[in-house]
Amino acid sequence: MISVKGLQKKYGNVEVLKSIDCEIKPSEVVCVIGPSGSGKSTFLRCLNLLETITAGSVVINGHDLGNSKLDRVLVRRDVGMVFQQFNLFPHMKVLDNVMIAPIKVAKKSREVTKEKALELLAKVGLSDKADVYPSSLSGGQQQRVAIARALAMDPTVMLFDEPTSALDPETVGDVLAVMKRLAGEGMTMVVVSHEMGFAREVADRVIFMDQGYIVEEGTPADIFDRPTQDRTKAFLSRVL
Amino acid sequence: MGDYAQFLLPLAKGLGMTALLCIISAVGGSIVGLLVGLARASSIGFIRWVSAIYTNLLRGIPLLIILLFTFFALPLLIPGAVFSKLACGAIALTLFVSAYIAEVVRGGLESVPRGQFEAAEALGMNYFLKFRYIIVPQAMRVVVPPWTGIILAMIKDSSLVSVIGFVDLTQAGKIIGTTTMLPLLTFVVVGAIYFVICYPLGKFGRWYEKRLTVSLGRPQAVDLGPASTDLLAEEPLLQVRGEK
Repeated sequence: MISVKGLQKKYGNVEVLKSIDCEIKPSEVVCVIGPSGSGKSTFLRCLNLLETITAGSVVINGHDLGNSKLDRVLVRRDVGMVFQQFNLFPHMKVLDNVMIAPIKVAKKSREVTKEKALELLAKVGLSDKADVYPSSLSGGQQQRVAIARALAMDPTVMLFDEPTSALDPETVGDVLAVMKRLAGEGMTMVVVSHEMGFAREVADRVIFMDQGYIVEEGTPADIFDRPTQDRTKAFLSRVL
Repeated sequence: MGDYAQFLLPLAKGLGMTALLCIISAVGGSIVGLLVGLARASSIGFIRWVSAIYTNLLRGIPLLIILLFTFFALPLLIPGAVFSKLACGAIALTLFVSAYIAEVVRGGLESVPRGQFEAAEALGMNYFLKFRYIIVPQAMRVVVPPWTGIILAMIKDSSLVSVIGFVDLTQAGKIIGTTTMLPLLTFVVVGAIYFVICYPLGKFGRWYEKRLTVSLGRPQAVDLGPASTDLLAEEPLLQVRGEK
């Protein structure tokens, strides 16, 4: 589903991603962990073209992201993204946030979209918030709306960029619960997160990144209980 | 009173001409200004460069000179074409005002957080959809108050078109003042008419600003300070990442 080979990303002379190789299968939930500055967010952003790829290849559902004739819109419709800062559209009500992309990008009818949007809001537990502006919601609620907004485009992959890092501790659980349910439904997910508990419980595979490389990957039990690399051990001893 | 009545018609005609000139220039200047402002935020260097020259050049030349230039140079640049005085005045005012509006638009676009661009792109929106539905509506909140200020100034500056012989409100006042030998009274009336037009517009700007702040819940501190009003302000320009 996602195939990454020799992915490299440079900002000027700074090499953020050195050489990333990674395969992600359908319905797999992959958590990417690592210290800040390790390149994990950049890796995620390369998967939906928010960053241009310096070298190597990324193929998603048969679309080669390095191809200059690539239809970005087609790729992005397949890939949903949830941001650390939610990035809800503040000038639109919650329902419109969820409906705008299906209507304007996918050109779906208003009625069908509205029904689906209300279903999605129910799914993330926010049916009663359809008609309010995002600014009146808590961080956790905003993030759940952001998840609904991404799901409204029927993506086959969902990317989460530190989805709970900007949240108050008491609202983190609601967001993780929604993500966990999504994983249970078979959604392919790549999650950059500091939530080790979530990674251990929900992930099929954990990738540990440091300094632009994938240092170690394996099942949550492999990584958390039997890490083989010193850098992984050092990182885990600091965060667990 | 009967003596004064004969001057009402020319005054009303002048007012009509000023209104027509200002409406054309305000609409034209806003459209051109929006496009130039978007160009200044382009990811393509050449487009940014051309639009920066446009705004800096026009903001560095007095309106009076732009007016005289369009009046004398336009027929030379496009031989055979006949430009009415209204057209000359409207073109000059449009050019002049668009440069200022472009800067305000640029400032407005820069005030929209990076994440809004990324969220729109991640949802698969192309350039047009992203700006039309996500970025421009948010930039409007920042743009409208200074925009009304620019339009207000333009209405008052439009009195300069009298130099090319266009009979606007001011020119009508001049003529009446000379004929009646009552210049003071005439210009008090003319000034009052300008005030009556401009004051509500300023009020509208305040009202719109408040309305947007309310609907968006929280006011956002946006600095449109020296960086965006400075004649030589060039950088930093907004870069739309990922759009090549």
